Amino acid sequence: MSESLIRELRAAKPAPRQELRERVRSLSASEPTRRPFLERFEWRRLVLVAPATLIVALVAAGVIGLTRDDVSGGGDQAASSATTTVALEGTRVSPDSQDSGALQGSAGSDAGGQPLDRQRLKGAPPLTTIAPDPGRVQRFGAELQVRVENLNELSRATQRAQRIAASLGGNVSSLSYDAPSGGIGSANIVLRVPVERVQTAMTQLSQLGTILGQRYGIEDLQPAVDDYTRQIEQTQRRIARLRRLLRNPSLADEERAVLQSRLASARQELTQLRAGLSGTRQEGRFATIGLTLTTEEIEAVTPGGGSKLDGIKDVLVWEGIVALYALVVAGPIILLGVLIWLALRLRRRREETRLLAQT
Amino acid sequence: MTISARRQAVQPPAWSASFAATAEEHLDDVYAYLVYLTRDQSLAEDLAADTFEKALRLWGRFDARRASARTWLCQIARTTALDWFRAEERRRRREERSAPAEGVEATFVDGLSPDLEAALGSLSAGEREVIALRVLLELDGEEAARVLGISPTNVSTRLSRALEKLNTKLEEKVEAHV
Repeated sequence: MSESLIRELRAAKPAPRQELRERVRSLSASEPTRRPFLERFEWRRLVLVAPATLIVALVAAGVIGLTRDDVSGGGDQAASSATTTVALEGTRVSPDSQDSGALQGSAGSDAGGQPLDRQRLKGAPPLTTIAPDPGRVQRFGAELQVRVENLNELSRATQRAQRIAASLGGNVSSLSYDAPSGGIGSANIVLRVPVERVQTAMTQLSQLGTILGQRYGIEDLQPAVDDYTRQIEQTQRRIARLRRLLRNPSLADEERAVLQSRLASARQELTQLRAGLSGTRQEGRFATIGLTLTTEEIEAVTPGGGSKLDGIKDVLVWEGIVALYALVVAGPIILLGVLIWLALRLRRRREETRLLAQT
Repeated sequence: MTISARRQAVQPPAWSASFAATAEEHLDDVYAYLVYLTRDQSLAEDLAADTFEKALRLWGRFDARRASARTWLCQIARTTALDWFRAEERRRRREERSAPAEGVEATFVDGLSPDLEAALGSLSAGEREVIALRVLLELDGEEAARVLGISPTNVSTRLSRALEKLNTKLEEKVEAHV
């Protein structure tokens, strides 16, 4: 294109009439004084949204994780939990004891404040014991998982556990010992010890190695004992009444035979009731302790700190799940919106091109 | 130069400039662009007035960091003109059956030679607008691209085609006279 043509075009640049100038000037009289939005809004702030969201998520996770009571291993429960494949918790009610109604026990303190640090490794939870109520008949069960250093230690600890049970007046109910030459050794011992010495037993057993986990269960047998006692008294009264009746010399032979039969039945029933009462009391006199000794390297959780961190991690995981869920739900909608927007934009462009081509 | 000194040397923010001054400064360019786009001076006046009305409403959203005021006003002018073209097309379709189509003004740019004006008039609106933006308003490729909503490369292509067509038309006119 020649320069002269360009000059001609520029020289003949259309100029608006004065009326239009006046019209535009009159418009400007109502000019807004507000500072524009885009000038007020710093786009850099958008860049801060992502880290700010992250910080909020972390703080929320921290606050919720630290304050939430139901976080596994939180608070007092943390003192008796461990991240093991056999996760043992603090006080656990055994399933068959739901109807006993008088279950007791709480985790949180060492037995009688006795020293427990002999072989405790860093991060190991302290021993927490709960004592059965001496005034009631209760079935007491405990499980203790203890780690020992090596197979030699495993053997020694197994023997020592048996001696502990015997020294406290108890016995070994069952024992399984597995010590492969090159692998992980373990021993499962079920001990029966007098219930009044269970705390001593637990304390001594916990000193066999590092406590990895513990669990207690108490079932109140007192209602069953009371029931037996009441039935025995009733049966004894029935027997006494039958004896009085049988002392009557004017009884017919047939009546006497019937009464004697009832008396024999009552005596048999009384014997059974007494045996039941005795068995129940015996049950309450001995506690069952399931001791697991292992050489496996299982890291014990530090009470408090580690579990709090777990709580925060839990909340973060949940936040991630919620974010992912929102993304999954909103993603297709956003994608659809973008596609519609692109289609409308393309259509508008084509229409504009057509309009400008034919005008 | 220190950072604070550099900051002081930077132009004041766009919102601090008055709309009146901006409108006064760029009215000629907006009008000229609309005349080329529509080939109708009176229509261009109306559309220019509409453009500045819209611009006044949108003045709060204007961001000088994204585009110059002239580019921004040309974008609004283009949208206003396209809206009018659409409405006009709809109206024309309705009235086509009953009345003949209106003719375009014979003279839409004062001061041009008749041949050049005729050659310009034979171009499409799309071709005229790219000439207006790049030649008349002397926008650079990037600014013109922003107004047209296309890439700078596309602007160059469109401009060269438009100018080539304009030259061809002019040569045809000259040959016709000879």
